[in-house]
Amino acid sequence: MRNMIDINRTPIWIISFALLAVLLDPARSYGQGEEVTSYINRYKQNEVSTGYYEEYEMRPANERPFVKNFHRIARKSFPYSSTAASIRNRSLLADSHRGIKFYNNRRCEECHIKETKDIHTTRANLTCRQCHGPEPIASIDHYYSPLNPIRRHAYVCAKCHQGAGASFAGYVIHEPPAGSSTAKADFPALYYSYWFMMALLAGTLAFFIPHTILTGVREMFKRKKG
Amino acid sequence: MMQTLRIKRFNILDRSFHFFLILTFLTQTATGFSRLFFPTVWGKNLTAVFGGYDTSILIHKWVGILMIFGFIFHTFYLLTRIDFHNLWASLFGPDSLIPTIRDAKHLWQRILWFFGIGSRPEIGRWAYWEKFDYWAVYWGMPLLAITGVMLMYPVIASRYVPGWTLNIAVLLHRAEAILAVSYIFIVHFFVGHLRPSSFPMNEAMFAGSIPMEELEEEKPVWFKQLKAEGKFETVKVNPPSLLYKIIYFIFGYAALGVGVYLLINGIINSRYISLH
Ligand code: HEC
Ligand code: HEC
Ligand code: HEC
Repeated sequence: MRNMIDINRTPIWIISFALLAVLLDPARSYGQGEEVTSYINRYKQNEVSTGYYEEYEMRPANERPFVKNFHRIARKSFPYSSTAASIRNRSLLADSHRGIKFYNNRRCEECHIKETKDIHTTRANLTCRQCHGPEPIASIDHYYSPLNPIRRHAYVCAKCHQGAGASFAGYVIHEPPAGSSTAKADFPALYYSYWFMMALLAGTLAFFIPHTILTGVREMFKRKKG
Repeated sequence: MMQTLRIKRFNILDRSFHFFLILTFLTQTATGFSRLFFPTVWGKNLTAVFGGYDTSILIHKWVGILMIFGFIFHTFYLLTRIDFHNLWASLFGPDSLIPTIRDAKHLWQRILWFFGIGSRPEIGRWAYWEKFDYWAVYWGMPLLAITGVMLMYPVIASRYVPGWTLNIAVLLHRAEAILAVSYIFIVHFFVGHLRPSSFPMNEAMFAGSIPMEELEEEKPVWFKQLKAEGKFETVKVNPPSLLYKIIYFIFGYAALGVGVYLLINGIINSRYISLH
């Protein structure tokens, strides 16, 4: 009888070790519970919507006359593989990561650092997929991309911002750092208002702090004399 | 005898506006900073004081609306102060808050005086730094109000202005708030409390009146003006009661403490946040 039990336990051990091996396998375990580049993740979040927006689709229009196309900047970055390098314009692909090696099971933040600084990610705790959608992630300017400006407001922004219109979708989500030279080239209004306010702040404080301190010092001396 | 003689400087409405502004401004700073510094531990703890990230913006919005009404009310009050029959004299006269060429001269004289050259400028009813105080708040409020309302209703706002102006609105709202906070909590607090001539606290804005000697010393031109007009009798008031004095001292120092606390923690945590 005792022997029987021992024999029955063997598969349990085997299964446990196999499970442990799977769990410890970096490729499987890496992104557990996090947002990774697989396709089932957060699919539901992608589908939920307020359902209220202005037009369904609109004619392509220039909603942002003073803002350049940000996503084109990204093209300069390092190509992740030889196939990836052969694709010149990644802004028009159905799968923007086509041919990029080691894409699976990685977090978006690892490759797109600049895009993690926006208000939606840092404050509202949105995941990238809530806007960029499930796999394959379409390039921004691909004709059927949900983030294409002709339908971005309805397909993406209106999920959370009830009644969003095309103009609202003109808000620059991944804005460049306001004081940087990138901002100067691509979003001059942001750049100049930033430096205007900085100059005002620095000027006011640089004038009034010495002014008040000197007043204090001077009044102290006056007291002593009198 | 002379010590009890006090001259009225701020009427009850002026003082109410100031009191209202202290309360709302501190609330807006605390709730606003709790959101601005949310990525830091201190900011998270501060939002907890107001019931979390969502409730703190709710308070921020309601108090903001209250401030807008206060601002509108104040503007109407300001218009009633103008003597429209005598517009020029009323706008650029000695009792007006509008900066004039005299203020530039006073500023220059005062800078020389800092370094021991010449005598102190003969300042009238409103010194140039007091005028600056006033107008800094007066232009800052509409800027914060407009950008704030835009961010409160971004979808509606974007029907009237292009969406990218919301990026600018966020930036301006934060930058102007930081400007106002650092000016008030550094310069205004120094002038009101730490300056030797007003230490431990400049009571004019709470008591509503200042002693005669202080008037003669600080605002010689206004003193002469009152004397020439023979108005001394009409602007004489009683000193504040002891109880009232205790209350406003406690209140003033509480406000000072809150402000300095927010300022120092804001400076410490400033490198973890960005303006946009
Ligand atoms: C609120 C919705 C939203 C979220 C959340 C979001 N994005 Fe975007 N993303 C956009 C929009 C809209 C664009 C198009 C930008 C434009 O046209 O100005 C974009 C563009 C991009 C681009 C193209 C290059 C660029 O900078 O314009 C990349 C890469 C990108 N996003 C990555 C990410 C990553 C990674 C995350 C998660 C950290 C993320 N996004 C989160 C809405 C979002
Ligand atoms: C292995 C690194 C890597 C990972 C992980 C990755 N990306 Fe990308 N992504 C790239 C590269 C490289 C490009 C091509 C753009 C370029 O040349 O810089 C790109 C392009 C894009 C674009 C299109 C930009 C355009 O111009 O239209 C979007 C949108 C995007 N990524 C979003 C995401 C999101 C969302 C995630 C996470 C689910 C993610 N990416 C994960 C490397 C990566
Ligand atoms: C998954 C939900 C979601 C989606 C999709 C989304 N947003 Fe938001 N958005 C939020 C939340 C939550 C906030 C509030 C952030 C906060 O209070 O810090 C916000 C705030 C904003 C703000 C105000 C910023 C501020 O500082 O107050 C703007 C503007 C905005 N979103 C624009 C957009 C645009 C444009 C899109 C479409 C590309 C979009 N959002 C898509 C959830 C979303």
